[in-house]
Amino acid sequence: MRNLLNFLAKYNHLIIFLVLEGIALYLLSTGNNYHNSRVVKGFRGLAAGIEKRVSNATSYFHLREISQAQARENVSLRTTIERLSGKENQLFFSVTDTIRHQQYTYSSAGVVNNTVNRQKNFFTINKGKLQGISVDMAVASGDCVAGVIVGSSNNFSIAMSLLNLDFRLSVRLKSNGYFGSLSWDGSDPRHAILSEIPQHVTFGIGDTIETTGFSAVFPEGLVIGTVSDFEKSGGDFYRITVALGTDFKRLRFVNVIGNLRKEEQLELEKQFQ
Amino acid sequence: MINRILRFGLIFILLFLLQVLLFNNIKFSGYVNPFVYIMFILLLPVEMPSWLLLILSFFTGLTMDFFSGTPGMHTSATVLAGFMRPYVLRFTSPRDGYEPGSDPSMLAYSFRWFLIYASIIVVIHHLALFYLEVFRFTDFFKTLLRIILSSLFSISFIILLEYIRKGK
Repeated sequence: MRNLLNFLAKYNHLIIFLVLEGIALYLLSTGNNYHNSRVVKGFRGLAAGIEKRVSNATSYFHLREISQAQARENVSLRTTIERLSGKENQLFFSVTDTIRHQQYTYSSAGVVNNTVNRQKNFFTINKGKLQGISVDMAVASGDCVAGVIVGSSNNFSIAMSLLNLDFRLSVRLKSNGYFGSLSWDGSDPRHAILSEIPQHVTFGIGDTIETTGFSAVFPEGLVIGTVSDFEKSGGDFYRITVALGTDFKRLRFVNVIGNLRKEEQLELEKQFQ
Repeated sequence: MINRILRFGLIFILLFLLQVLLFNNIKFSGYVNPFVYIMFILLLPVEMPSWLLLILSFFTGLTMDFFSGTPGMHTSATVLAGFMRPYVLRFTSPRDGYEPGSDPSMLAYSFRWFLIYASIIVVIHHLALFYLEVFRFTDFFKTLLRIILSSLFSISFIILLEYIRKGK
């Protein structure tokens, strides 16, 4: 007790100061709206800051659980990948529209064999009769012409590549609609020849060549490629070199396009020939 | 003794009249707010016990807060000034010490001594007061400029008042 009194006597200056300053600061923080809100905000900010630090620190203690959860998630994702990639072939299914009266059917297929360096090139796709592929269906790579089906077994089909001397196709210049015949000259797998375009037609390098749809095999408007060069060749026609849109050297997936009204069209045309 | 109390009471009233009626209305672009009422704490007797000094400082500040409607703001600053006063007196003490029973004024000591003593107390008081007023550290230097300018004016007016007291 005496020690306490001694202590109080010794530090009375400081103690009275602290008491009075405390009262003054209390008055300051409660009596003024501005100071009050600043103090409250300050305490809130302090509490929030401490809370953030604490949660930062405690999150380290949960790292084991987090990494275990991620490992589990990795396992389940890997399982899903395996399941999906195992089903790769089933992903390519044919799309049949039963609501609208559609003219063309599309089905995806993978190329399993392909050549580009012969005079008569063919490629093989991994779908056949059982998947609804039949002779004279068109084959496109993306929006570009690739070939036409010439034979099919139960699960495979052979397509005549555009890079085949026997391949003929009715095509036109997209800019003005003049049509001609496309064939391959057997030299360069990246270029084909468009002939029978009259010399009075104006066009330029880079013009798009597309299918006409006359053959009842290819739908109208599939891209062949673009004009890369042209020259006058005897008679009144141009000989146009077409840069092919399809890169046959890396043909991987193709769409097989079937014309549902082909029979009807051919039958009608036959009556008047 | 009674005489002395009455004299300080008169000084107190006169200082607050000056402060409230005159100096509170001086506002040069918000940078200059001289507070001369702090002179009351400056003039209290040297040998006054520190608890009484602190309590008088407290009530001086409280009175000022009452007039300016800012509870606690001036009180905090004046209590701090009162707390620091004994240390400042010791720091600035003249070579032959303080005369017993004297007031720390320009009358009793030199102009130079009073200038240093008053400046230190005024700056302490203004520092506390202005930073408590803005209550944040953004615009730190703007507030510092206000403190410096206001302190200059406060010290000038306090010296002026001391000269008037001396001439009387």
